[in-house]
Amino acid sequence: MFGVDWLGLAVPLAYLGILLGSLATFSSLYRKRKAHNAASLEPWFPAHLQRDIYFSLLHLEPSSNEKKSPAIPDSIFKASLLRRAAEDIRRIMALRSQKQALSTLLQRGSVGDDLWKRFERAEKEMEDEVKDVASEANAYVPGWGQTIFQSANEMLNNEIYRKRMEEQASNVEEERKWWDKKKTSIQEGFMKELEEDSSATKTTPTSTTTKDLDTASTTSPAPGASVQGSDDDAVLVEAENTSSTPNSPASAKKKGKGKK
Amino acid sequence: MSSDYTYDEQGQFFPFFILTLTGLVTLPLTYNLLRPSKELENTAPRIKSDFKPEHADLIDAQKRKRLRKERRIKRIVTVILGYAVMAWMVYLIVVTARTVVKAYDPYDILGVSRSADEKAISRHYKRMSLVYHPDKIRPDPAKNETMETLNERFVELTKAYKALTDEEVRNNYLQFGHPDGKQSFSIGIALPQFIVMDGNGKYVLLVYGALLGVLLPYIVGKWWYGSQRYTKERVLVASAGNIFREYKDDITEGGIVGALSSGEEFKDMLKGAAAESGLAKLEKRVLADDNSFLSAKDRAALKQLDSSSRRKALALLWAYLGRIDLGDASLDAEKYEAAPVALSLTEAFTAIALAFGNLGPIVGAFKTSQNLIQAVSPGSSPLLQLPNFTDAIVKSVEGEGTKEHLTIQKYMELPEAQRRSLTVGAGLLSDKQYTDAITVAKQLPVLQPERIFFKVMGEKVITPSSLVQLVVKARFIPPGSTSVPPVNPSDLEDIDPDEDDLEALMGRKPAKNRTIKTEDGKKVESKIETIQPPLAHAPYLARDHSPRWNIFLADAKQGKMAVPPFTFTTFDKPIFDEAGKPTYNVQTLKMQFQAPPQVGDFTFILHMLCDSYMGLDNTAQITLHIDDPAKAVSLEEDDDISEPDEDSIAGQMQAIKTGQAPKKKAKDSDDSSESDTDGDAGDTSDTDTETEDED
Repeated sequence: MFGVDWLGLAVPLAYLGILLGSLATFSSLYRKRKAHNAASLEPWFPAHLQRDIYFSLLHLEPSSNEKKSPAIPDSIFKASLLRRAAEDIRRIMALRSQKQALSTLLQRGSVGDDLWKRFERAEKEMEDEVKDVASEANAYVPGWGQTIFQSANEMLNNEIYRKRMEEQASNVEEERKWWDKKKTSIQEGFMKELEEDSSATKTTPTSTTTKDLDTASTTSPAPGASVQGSDDDAVLVEAENTSSTPNSPASAKKKGKGKK
Repeated sequence: MSSDYTYDEQGQFFPFFILTLTGLVTLPLTYNLLRPSKELENTAPRIKSDFKPEHADLIDAQKRKRLRKERRIKRIVTVILGYAVMAWMVYLIVVTARTVVKAYDPYDILGVSRSADEKAISRHYKRMSLVYHPDKIRPDPAKNETMETLNERFVELTKAYKALTDEEVRNNYLQFGHPDGKQSFSIGIALPQFIVMDGNGKYVLLVYGALLGVLLPYIVGKWWYGSQRYTKERVLVASAGNIFREYKDDITEGGIVGALSSGEEFKDMLKGAAAESGLAKLEKRVLADDNSFLSAKDRAALKQLDSSSRRKALALLWAYLGRIDLGDASLDAEKYEAAPVALSLTEAFTAIALAFGNLGPIVGAFKTSQNLIQAVSPGSSPLLQLPNFTDAIVKSVEGEGTKEHLTIQKYMELPEAQRRSLTVGAGLLSDKQYTDAITVAKQLPVLQPERIFFKVMGEKVITPSSLVQLVVKARFIPPGSTSVPPVNPSDLEDIDPDEDDLEALMGRKPAKNRTIKTEDGKKVESKIETIQPPLAHAPYLARDHSPRWNIFLADAKQGKMAVPPFTFTTFDKPIFDEAGKPTYNVQTLKMQFQAPPQVGDFTFILHMLCDSYMGLDNTAQITLHIDDPAKAVSLEEDDDISEPDEDSIAGQMQAIKTGQAPKKKAKDSDDSSESDTDGDAGDTSDTDTETEDED
């Protein structure tokens, strides 16, 4: 009989068991956490509204009192698909412009890995989305899949231009008001000066240089390039003032905006 | 347990061991804690001003709070604990009776001095034996003596005498301090015996396992994940991600403020109930109609935010920028707390904008930093930076309905009387407030470029793909300076560092000894100093901030950045003298980059932006002229002929004339030949630049 020291043998076995067991636990916990983190990453873009609209049109359920789902004309499907493609284009453009910057930032350690992961996932999603849209388009009209994104791009550009124009147009009223106010204040200043000049004798030619037209117009009553007090001059100044005032930068700016 | 080693049974060495170990940790940590911080903010001078803003106490409280946070409580506790342990160990060392193994010392036993010679020893022994011989004395019960002890003592005495009269033993004793000659070393382990006692083994193993298996991974993990939470700009990774998502190519300054509010730091700041408390009141005050600094877009952006903490953060930022009194101490305190957080987030935004490279957002990022430091909303007048200035005063100075704002420089250029009449008066500033404002204005560091040029070190022309230096020579001219001296033309030249100063040549360090040309053409060596500009005058910011100047080149046509910004925080010459008067020294700012690989002219817009003050920005157009490398070679050959050699007579003559040997060949030729090259001097001089200031 071999006298086996079972207790002595158990000790190294238990050691091995504990070591391997703890390593295995750690590894599984770590992986689970990683998977959970990856799953809980925030999506890059907000919900894709246009796609959702398209799909809900496609799978429109008949309401309770109707038996058949309402027939939707093809044109509505197509329009909705175009909208979806336009949104896709917008997202792809955004991703493309961000990719370069994001990778340099990641290298420098200015952003975290999570952001990159989210970005990659968004890229992959957009790839699938584009394929899906192209195949849907081909289903409506064979060959449309090649051109749908071009037309969507034009739609998008048009929208951008329109938005910009609206933005500029929305300023018009405010600028107009400001300019009217300024014009009257300048006019008042001139009139006052004229009165002063006509009442006072011509011994005091106020020669304030109009270095700063803006401050001078409201505070000191003597703007304009050394008005000498004759009527001809006054007329000249007024005409210049009301017609165009090319020397005032503010008005030039204003005009440019008005043209757009 | 082997018995080869002796363990520290009495615990007399153990404290030494612990003392050394704790000392190794505690002493460096103490140094680290007590060392004066070298950060810019702690060493810079300040702008003198008596101005106290409205909520000075709240701002100071925020400053103190920030300091407390930076005080590193944990480190202090560790150091204190370390010293406590050390003190305890020292106490143990002092208290523990040292059981020094007493070596046999015959001198001591006999009671003679070590210098005694043999004769004296034997005489002494004789006397002792007369007294102590057991036949002579009786044991004294009072002294607890018996016959045996008396006997023993006498034997000892005799032995000692024998030892000392033996020549060899005595020599051994005198040489090695031991009668047997040289002693071997005994090795022990300074661990108390209980650690290695049988039975205690499992506990020791347990503690060891806990230290190595639990504590160590925990500390390493904490450090690793802690450092992973922050980006390079010391901003939470999640914040950087949010700001990146908010970035747009056409983002405006208002949009940048909105992007900053997405930082996770604000969530930490406005935890729990703080996110909601006072939000309605805050929004009402911020969105009030008379806050004209808020554009319709900014208002809409604030209104459509979902998260209450972000909404509050953005509203607080706008309240701070608009200097809106919130009428509630806790809201106002939060307002001042939010600004430094946003300022640190601006760095993350700047990094992101730089990665995209679009000019608009980059400039916007720097301007936002100016706005946050000065608590002036984007698009408002730079005059608000001056103490006591409010919107009403700015309106009085600039006049009604103006769209262009007056910079501080322009304001200070107004004649004193006009300036005073515009600013001082009923409803405006008092005389005292006006003087305060003017004293601050006269101390602002306005960096005025005097000359901007490109050069390649040691070359006359700029060849494709060479390492180009952009040299900006600029002076600090505070607003309202009168009698500014003209620039000394020799100050505007740039002289290459010594050829043996490799570090400087490679652009890693500034030149050790800068040679400066004086008027008579001699070169004077001067030591380089680093001078800090005064801290930004930012009474509303609850943090000290040292101004930084950023210089970068942009391509105007594409609206892109061409050369990334170089940041300057220190300068090489004093800005103000002891009396606080500006010195108008010409400062040299250099930045290095790679030239484009093609030959031709490249026009850039140089932007010089200070991150702390509004309205001090400079732009200049500058052309980089890149020459064919073949031309550079031919030019060099020309030089070799005309240059007097060191050994030639001409060289000696020159040495006599100028008082120094023409050793620094490259430099001399560089400066002199600029004017006397043949025919096409205009094209080939090393610096072909046209700089024109833009307004």
